[in-house]
Amino acid sequence: MNRRNALRHAGLIAGAATLTPTLLTLLQSCEAQPRIDWQPQFLTEDEALFLAAFVDTILPRTDTPGGLDLKADLFMDKVFAETYDAEGQRQVRENITAFNTQISDQFGAPFQDLNAEDRSAALQAAEAASGKFNGQVWGTAVGKQEPVGFYRSLKSMAIGAYLSSEQVGKEILRYDPIPGGYDGCLSLEEGDRAWSL
Amino acid sequence: MANFNIDAQKDMTYDAIVIGSGISGGWAAKELCEKGLKTLVLERGRMVEHVIDYPTMNLDPWDMELRGGLTPEEQKKHYKGIRTGFIGKDTEHFHANDLENPYTEVKPFLWVRAHQMGGRSILWGKQTYRWSDLDFEANARDGYGVDWPIRYKDIEPWYTYVEKFAGISGEPLGLPQLPDSHFLPPMELNCVEKHLKQRIEKQYPGRHLIIGRCAHLTVPHNGRGKCQYRNRCSRGCPYGAYFSSNAVTLPAANATGNLTIRPFSIAQSIIYDDQKGKATGVRIIDAETNEAIDYSAKIIFCNASCLSSTQILLNSKSSRFENGLGNDSGQLGHNLMDHTYRIGAMGQVEGFEDKYYKGRRPNGIYIPRYVNIDEATKSDKFVRGFGFQGGAGRAGARAAANQDAFGADFKDQLLQPGPWEFFITGFAECLPYYENKVTLNTEVLDKWGQPTLSIDCEYKANELALNQQIEIDAVEMLERAGVKDVVGFNNHHEPGFGIHEMGTARMGRDPKTSVLNGFNQVHAAKNVFVTDGACMTSNSCVNPSLTYMALTARAADHAVSELNKLNI
Repeated sequence: MNRRNALRHAGLIAGAATLTPTLLTLLQSCEAQPRIDWQPQFLTEDEALFLAAFVDTILPRTDTPGGLDLKADLFMDKVFAETYDAEGQRQVRENITAFNTQISDQFGAPFQDLNAEDRSAALQAAEAASGKFNGQVWGTAVGKQEPVGFYRSLKSMAIGAYLSSEQVGKEILRYDPIPGGYDGCLSLEEGDRAWSL
Repeated sequence: MANFNIDAQKDMTYDAIVIGSGISGGWAAKELCEKGLKTLVLERGRMVEHVIDYPTMNLDPWDMELRGGLTPEEQKKHYKGIRTGFIGKDTEHFHANDLENPYTEVKPFLWVRAHQMGGRSILWGKQTYRWSDLDFEANARDGYGVDWPIRYKDIEPWYTYVEKFAGISGEPLGLPQLPDSHFLPPMELNCVEKHLKQRIEKQYPGRHLIIGRCAHLTVPHNGRGKCQYRNRCSRGCPYGAYFSSNAVTLPAANATGNLTIRPFSIAQSIIYDDQKGKATGVRIIDAETNEAIDYSAKIIFCNASCLSSTQILLNSKSSRFENGLGNDSGQLGHNLMDHTYRIGAMGQVEGFEDKYYKGRRPNGIYIPRYVNIDEATKSDKFVRGFGFQGGAGRAGARAAANQDAFGADFKDQLLQPGPWEFFITGFAECLPYYENKVTLNTEVLDKWGQPTLSIDCEYKANELALNQQIEIDAVEMLERAGVKDVVGFNNHHEPGFGIHEMGTARMGRDPKTSVLNGFNQVHAAKNVFVTDGACMTSNSCVNPSLTYMALTARAADHAVSELNKLNI
């Protein structure tokens, strides 16, 4: 049984009765130490667990695959490892630590060890505290882009990793590599998906 | 495919040498070859053959190792160019190496360069508009800079000539300030753009929202395929559907049998013979061996791109021209201009949630200049004017990241088209100021030990006033058209961002105040022609590439005629 399912299960219990910290500890202690089933290039095991929990909370599995199903976290680790310079990597580490320190102070445990309800509360607080991206024209933000903070950046990166995956691009969204022409007024039915490219 | 002749060892003497193979160099090569001149094209970078050398043209994001991301080494290689925001793994190989090709920003200036066969014609935005007498008379009218030695009637037949070959799509409008081209069918506005067109044109008589006029084929043309709406142009188009030297002019030049291309050939200087009173050839440095080699020709076309052409002229020193070839006026390197960039407005459009589009149109909308076009539209705040580019589309991932939401519903919504957004962004004319200049820098040398450029350029009061008006007008137009949550913006970009560098070897009537004459000939070395952005006397607010094409074809025609008359 993997850690994600365990926490989801815990979440269901919490629906019926308030999950006390004691009970949570008990549930956690029933589990073997959580592990990830892949070898990160950049992140530590703890950081990778944090990222997995983060991606899963932002983009959970529904009737479509979740972020973890499509290995968004693996790709993000690869991006940290292969596109960030040493200073950028140092900041990522620092940001994860700071983010989780704040969550630990507030919720008693780092993000990856929280139940679904607390994860949700933690991210809602982060949402409220984060800046927003300016609009973009042709690759750069319009106006002066103020820092959006770690949460918004990581959320954006998770979304990007999800949407740029082959499965989303080819099977979930509408894939049309060679449209051939342009229809500037296509009817859209309720629930129709976006184009992938 | 083309089988270009790259064996320049065989022959050291040609009828013509063209320095550079971008938009203007490609045209020079085609025209000179078709007129029967044995022509050598010198290209400082590698060969890029149409289709064969477009490695990323069919790649989806997930086909690329980092889905388009660059490694720190690649980012360093493009540490200046990356400021544009659009260098990714898909096009990185078409952007120049900033480490090997340093330049000095005396004031902030972004210089986007593409060092390979085809140059920036592979990467350009493909917006193509004719200039008008509003532009060619601008300097004479308000007294900034010197008068253009030509008028619209001089270039009009050459616009038609290049348009027929290149293939320009657009809609005729009959506007005097933006003359119609010889058009292929226009691309289509989407339904939100059509809606906003009606609203804006009703609110503002005299303003027009039109589909961009562009060098994309909307029907097959001269053996090239039509646009497939993939919007992967800058990776190179497998259909040859947009204009580039690689797909259009160089194959035509090659078909004559008169073309030789020499890649890895950095033009170091143009050789001037004091006795003969004219240029006799070009000295190159082989980029691979560092060897200096001289090639001879009767005429030289300098088409290395605006600043690089001027750099070559500045570096071409002789006892006759101690300060650079053709620099009797002292104007060489001066009067640098670009278009101001990224000032405008954006917002959301409601009421079209059930509408979408199919196809990724590599083109947007255009709002032609409407200020200072006559007495009635005269501004008391600035001279010259601006136009807008823009477009409507449904938002994607960026808008989603801003949403105060996450989890299951959020993810499902992410897979659907986002809200409709619309933006317009202005391009304003910059005045020709003597003090906006480039100079040779002998302290900072490039990889080949050659002097580099120092660029000292800034926008001044008139440009800042234009930019202020752009933002005010953009916000007002969008709000009056019913766009919601309108946000105005002004990125205060430094010059260079517009990637429309012009001036530094301007045309003019008087050799005392200009470098080139009305046929783009260096006044004092009439067998040297400069027909890229360097030649421009003013810079309009309109995208310049079509004008480079027309000026080049016109100059090539004049060159051959003068050659035949033994005048040069």
